[in-house]
Parts: sequence; structure tokens; C-alpha cells
Amino acid sequence: MGNKQTIFTDEQLDAYQDCTFFTRKEILRLHGRYHEMAPNIVPMDYTKDPDVKLPIQLIINMPELKENPFKERIVEAFSEDGDGNLSFNDFVDMFSVLSEMAPRELKAIYAFKIYDFNTDNFICKSDLEKTLNKLTREELTAEEITLVCEKVIEEADMDGDGKLAFADFENMISKAPDFLSTFHIRI
Amino acid sequence: MEPRWAQTGRDGADDDDWGQQQPPSSLFLQLPSNATLRFRGNVAKAWGAALDEGEPPGAPQERDGEGAREQESVPLKQLPLCMAEKRILRLREQRVAWKRSRWEQWQVGMRHLWGQVRGALLYAQVWRGSLHRIEGHFGTGIQSYFNFLRFLVLLNLGGALLMVGFVVAPNAAFEGLQLNQTQQGQNSMVNRSCLQYDPTERGLVSYFTYLMDLLSGTGFMELTHLFYGYYPNSAVDFVGFSYNIPLAYLLSVLGYFSVCLLWIVHRAVHLLKRSLVGENGELSTYSHKVFAGWDFCLAPGTAAAMKHNSLRYELRMDLEEQTLRRVMAQRSPGQRLALFSLRGALNLLVLGLLGAAFYGVYRATEYSQRAQQDTSPGQQGLVLGLLVAYLPSIVITAANQLVPLAFGLLVRLERYPLSLEIRLTLLRTVFLRLSSLLVLLFSLWTQITCHGDPAADSCRICHHNHQQHPCWETSVGQEMYKLLVFDLLVLLLVLLLVEFPRKLLVTHGPAPLARLLGQQEFLVPPNVLDLVYGQTVCWVGTAFSPLLPLLHAAKLILLFYLKKLTLFSNCRPADRTFRASSSSFFFLLVLLLGLAIAWVPLLYSVFVLQPSQACGPFRGEPTMWSTLWAAIDTLPLVAREFLQFVGSLAFAVPLFLLLCILMFYLMALDHSYSCLVKELKGQLRLEGQDKVFLVTQITELS
Repeated sequence: MGNKQTIFTDEQLDAYQDCTFFTRKEILRLHGRYHEMAPNIVPMDYTKDPDVKLPIQLIINMPELKENPFKERIVEAFSEDGDGNLSFNDFVDMFSVLSEMAPRELKAIYAFKIYDFNTDNFICKSDLEKTLNKLTREELTAEEITLVCEKVIEEADMDGDGKLAFADFENMISKAPDFLSTFHIRI
Repeated sequence: MEPRWAQTGRDGADDDDWGQQQPPSSLFLQLPSNATLRFRGNVAKAWGAALDEGEPPGAPQERDGEGAREQESVPLKQLPLCMAEKRILRLREQRVAWKRSRWEQWQVGMRHLWGQVRGALLYAQVWRGSLHRIEGHFGTGIQSYFNFLRFLVLLNLGGALLMVGFVVAPNAAFEGLQLNQTQQGQNSMVNRSCLQYDPTERGLVSYFTYLMDLLSGTGFMELTHLFYGYYPNSAVDFVGFSYNIPLAYLLSVLGYFSVCLLWIVHRAVHLLKRSLVGENGELSTYSHKVFAGWDFCLAPGTAAAMKHNSLRYELRMDLEEQTLRRVMAQRSPGQRLALFSLRGALNLLVLGLLGAAFYGVYRATEYSQRAQQDTSPGQQGLVLGLLVAYLPSIVITAANQLVPLAFGLLVRLERYPLSLEIRLTLLRTVFLRLSSLLVLLFSLWTQITCHGDPAADSCRICHHNHQQHPCWETSVGQEMYKLLVFDLLVLLLVLLLVEFPRKLLVTHGPAPLARLLGQQEFLVPPNVLDLVYGQTVCWVGTAFSPLLPLLHAAKLILLFYLKKLTLFSNCRPADRTFRASSSSFFFLLVLLLGLAIAWVPLLYSVFVLQPSQACGPFRGEPTMWSTLWAAIDTLPLVAREFLQFVGSLAFAVPLFLLLCILMFYLMALDHSYSCLVKELKGQLRLEGQDKVFLVTQITELS
């Protein structure tokens, strides 16, 4: 680019470029978005790697996430403490996985984490019910929800334990033709 | 502070919904298969997974024995770790990089470069911003239509480049430079009357004939680069080689079709690879809808509410369909017989409708051609003249719009499950649209060759109907040109007279009327079929009108902007989502069908029909294909023998048999793989039960 920017060192930008699917310009733009959410807390100078985290309430108000029924789970899945507080590294990582260049396997791992509401490493019936309620805004009847959950487990569960482990989930999602195009946020 | 993940799955066996005693989840969490799914940062350590300095974390499926080699081949970006760990890995990699040999460094550099090129190409795509906006507001289903439209624009531009580069531009250059052209194919045995062809001789004409000529390709437009009749049957000699115009024409037309075929097949395979179809896709509809149903790209606004509604609607429809299937399976034989006879009668009705439509097209073409020859253009008024000239197009368009409505009504009476209903209507509509084009061509053929009878009065002398069609290739080209222009005109008219007024009525009109009409919905399948139909027309006409791909590309670019305009101003998102990628493959399949249909008139004209003797680059030749044979004869002996062998039956039949054997082998392989998959699934189920049993025993013993 040529113009001097003082937010990151060159070494940091190179590291970001290697570790995510973004270019330098996009990393700087992401920093701008991160900064404008809380200009008082987020410093403009990231050369010393400051330890700044934004709370979940700010992040789920972003226009890209606002209408998403799984916004809390997405942010929690990418936060280090599991509570949804994102540092800038986590922020960039989140959008990198959700970008269009991330491969299917990587997206499947995080999709599994997102749909696993009680974080027990299985998608059990209660997780499925919560997912369905969020998807349809709780407008399906209880009987319909039970039917759909049973159908989903019947379709995807391979080892017969009544819940989906990661292997089951990945096998099922690899056959979904539009997973790559729907599990994708543009920023 | 205990993270939330650790607050669940505590000790003590819990009962799940099936009433079985499940062993405590804490033991499950310690199994190796669960440890592969690492949480980020510090939490991962608490799971007991190894993440110390000396041990690089692996890819999610840890395979034994594949250590550092495997690590390097997975790029850093694709590892599911947090940024700090990735940075540590990166530093380690850089330290190792110094020790690599030059070959390995070059390999890594190449891979890096290739990744950057691919990223750059992704950004260089045309109309990326518009597609982004469409995806955000209307979802991936409607975006797939615009993706398909963009693909067609590129296909047509590529084809236009080929045709213009090898046929139109050299001709224009030769004329402009006034180069010496040696005439070929002079046949002195031909009757004088067959050589008469002068479309520009008219005498005094009224002013509107120029407008008519522009819209129907006659008059001043007929003897131009646009149509086949203009090109001479000659060769231009340069130093070392001679540019044979008829040969160039034939080869570029065949090359254009082959390039289109290869490009479409390549894209279809690319799309198919993305949807790994291991088994029947029907088996995963619910899980796909739940986990891959929500479009994360939706921008805030009404689109999100629409998406919730459509997902709920879809799930309800699926459940209803299931109950319907159960009811269907329980029908008595008497009911089944009644249903089958009803379906048989309705199918006959559908065939009757199709037959009526085809007959209408046939008669309209006949009438239009005869009327255009009988009366000179100046005698009729402008509107009447245009009506007569465009009669086939009008009838085809009317049939294409009205008959599918009838299909939609009839298919509901047949009481199929919903998914089958949609597919059946689509298939019938596709058949209608492509066949009406074939009927038009058939009608033209009967006129040109006097119903296939070479001994008929008008066809005896010149081998085709000379009075009506002195240059029959140009007539066919003109018909296709008219279809293209009419398609565009209809689009503009519908936009101005139907869609915008409807939007005005809905927003500003009286409430009951607004509720009755409802805002327009952008339906993807009819629009895609329109595109396929237009592309088939372009393909059929290219052999007789070399500039048609260029005109079609311009029309498609205009169409993109018009459709985008109407989408954002008038439409609301669809109630029923059309699954994006599976339907992209379906669009390409229908496009291939159109291409296959376009091959038929091309091959027939090239191999069977005699070219007009009065015009075109093949005048005086017995068939278009004979120029190729004449050119082959000038090649050296070995090449000639080889090409003759390749074209003979002795080569084609063994090749065909070999391909059949290969196909049967692949089918057998596929069958054996699916049997293997079923077996493995059964084994996996048994292993799962074993695991639960063993863990229960362990907890009981400990």
C-alpha cells in the first residue's frame, strides 16, 4: 500500500495475513470496525498487543450479526473465556472463519461449536430444540418441534447414541450442498 | 471463574429421553474422540489435551504417524486455533524454513503465489458488489439466478470473440483492404434462376420500412455482416498460406459449440464437486434445513423476518408431506386405481395442451412466412407488418406464459407430494419451451424443403424453395434474430406495463386491491427458463448469423441491470426458498439440454441440406461439410489417412463399445462403494453401543 499506518507493525500485519484469510487492507478495515464499536476502550495503537476485550453486548449489535438468531452462540464460540468477550484477535478470527474462503472442514468445526448450546461436545435433543426455536422464532408447536428433532437425529446419528457427535455432524454437513454459501458472513 | 462449559455434564448418571441410564458425561469427555475438538486458548488445557510448547496441535482428526509432514501441508489459516497459538506455530515454521532445501522453498513459494493469485481472481469478478447486495437482501436463492446470468454473459462474450475473430473481422479486413479474393466452388451446371438473390432492390419505399427492417432483419440489414448470406465463397492468398473463408466459417461455428459444451460441463462438474453426493440426497433434508438453512449473509431488514417465515413454512411442508406419504401408503386398491386413472387422464390433457400449442406455432410460422413473401412490406401498415413478421414469436411467448399456468393448476389435482409436484411442473415447462422452438424450426424446414419432397414443383430446380427463400440460411437467421429482439421487447413491456404499475397499485392504491394482488415475488425457475430459452435461440441462430452471440451478450447485460432494478423496486423475497447450489446444477443441466437441442438443426444443415446457391460462403458446394473434405484432401498423405480413419465407422463403433464398457465398470464400482458404506455404518452403530456398554461397566466397577 505504501502509506504509513501506525496501528500495527509490519510484522503483525504479516502474521495476520498468514493466520487468517484477510489481506492487509481488510485487517485494517476490521480494526476500524472494532474501534468504532467502543472508541474509548479500543486503542488506535496495537503495536504493543494491548489486552482489550469488548463485551458480548456490543458485538451482537453489529449490523452483520444483529439479525442472526445464533449471534450469541457465534460470539461465545470464538471467545477464549467462553462468555463472549472478544479481543481483536478473536474478532478477526471469527470473521476469517466465516469468510467465503474458509474451507468446509474449518467451518464445520465452528458450526458444531455454535449449535452445541450446552457445550458438552454433543448436539443433543435439547440443543436441537433450542436451535429450532431460534430458527423459527418459537412459532412451531411443541409436537412439530419434537417430530423435527427426531427426524434430524434419525438422519444424522450414525453410532446410535441418540445425539450427534462431531463425526456425525461433519458427515451430515459435508453432504449439505449450500452449507458453504449459507455459513458465510461478508464484512 | 469457572467457564460455562464445565458447569454441565456433572457427575451422577443422567437419564436421557429414552429412559436408559446414560453413564456420566464426565467420562465421555475424557475419551480421545472428544479431545480432538479443542476449545480455544486456556480452556483447551483444562480438557486434558496436550498443548505445551514442544507439541504442535494437530488438525482436528488426529491421525497417528502423520506428524510434521501433515502439519506443513495444512495452511495456518485453516487450523481451528486462536490467534496466539497460530502465531507460535508460525514462528516455529519460520525457524524450520531456514533449514529447508531449495526445492522445498520453491515449492512453498509456488503454493503461496498460487494462493494469492486465486485470492486476486476472486476479487476481479464482474458485478461482485451487486451480487453481494442481492445476497444480503434476498438470499442465496435469488443470487443464484444472477450468478447464472453472469455466467451466460461471459459465455456469450467468449463465443462472440471466437466468431468475430475468425469470421467477421477477417472478412471486414479483407474488404476494407480490398485484397484479391479467389472465387471457389463455381458450378456452371446450376440453373440461372437459382442464382438470383437481391434483397436490396426495392424501388420507392415508405419511411417506416427502415424501422421494420431494423426489427426483422430484412431489407438494408439483410446483406450485412449480420447474416450468412453476405459472406463470399472465396479464399484470400497470403504468403505461405491461404485463408479459406468457408472453411473458417464452418470450423469457427463448430469450435464455438464445442467451447460452449466444454465450458458448461466444466462448470457443472465444479458445482457438483461442492455437493458431495454420497447417497441419496433425500435422506438429509431435515438436518440440512436445520443446520444449513439460515443464511448468515442476510442484512437487517425485512429479509430476516421473511427467512424465519420461509423456514417455518418449509419445515411444516416437510412434515405434512410425510403424513401425506403415510396416508398414500395406506390407500386401498380401489382408491389407488381411481387415482391412477385420474392421473392418466390429466397427463393426456397435458399432452393435448402441448399438442395444441405446437400446432399453433406451426401454423403461425407458416402463415407469417407466406404473408411476408406474398405482400411487399410497403403495402401493409407498420403495425400490421410487424404483427405478421413477429407472429411466430408472439405465439411462442403466449404459449410459454399461459400453458405453464394450466400445468400449475392441473398438477395440484394429481395429488403428488410437494417436491415431486414442483419438479414435475418444471420438467413439463422445460419440455414445452424447448419443443416449441423445435416446432418453429420444423415449420421452417417444411417450407424450405417443400415438406422434404425434392420432386415437388418449387423445389425441383434449386433443391430448395427458391421463390420463398432465395437464401434459406439467412431466413432462418432472421427468424432467430426476430425471436431475440422480441424477447427483449417483451421484457421491457412487461417491466413498464405490469411490474411498475403493480407496485404503484400495491403501495398507493386501495387496501383490498393491494391485498388481493400482493407485492410481486421474484420467482427464480421461470426466469431461469427464460434465460435458457434465449440462449438456445442464440445457439440455433449462430450458424446462420455470426454476430448473434455479440447481440445476445449485449441483451443479457441490459437484462442484468433491468432485473436488478425490478428486484429492488418491486419485489419481495420468495416464500418458498429454492435451494441454491442444487438448483445451480439443475440450471446447467437444462442449459445442456438446450445445447443438445441446438446441435440438431446445426448438424442437419451442415451434413444433409444443400446450401443456397445464390448466397453465403458455401454457394456451389453440395453440402457445408464437403469444404472440410476438400481441405483435408490438400493435407499430406499420412494426416489425410489418419483423419479419414478417425471419421470412419471402423473407429467410431469400437470407441462407442469401449465407452459403454467403461460406463458399466463405473456403475459397478459405485454400487460396490455404496454397499461398503452401508456396511461401515452398521459397524459404526455397533461400536457406539460397545462404547456405551464399556463406559457403563467402568463406572460401575470404579
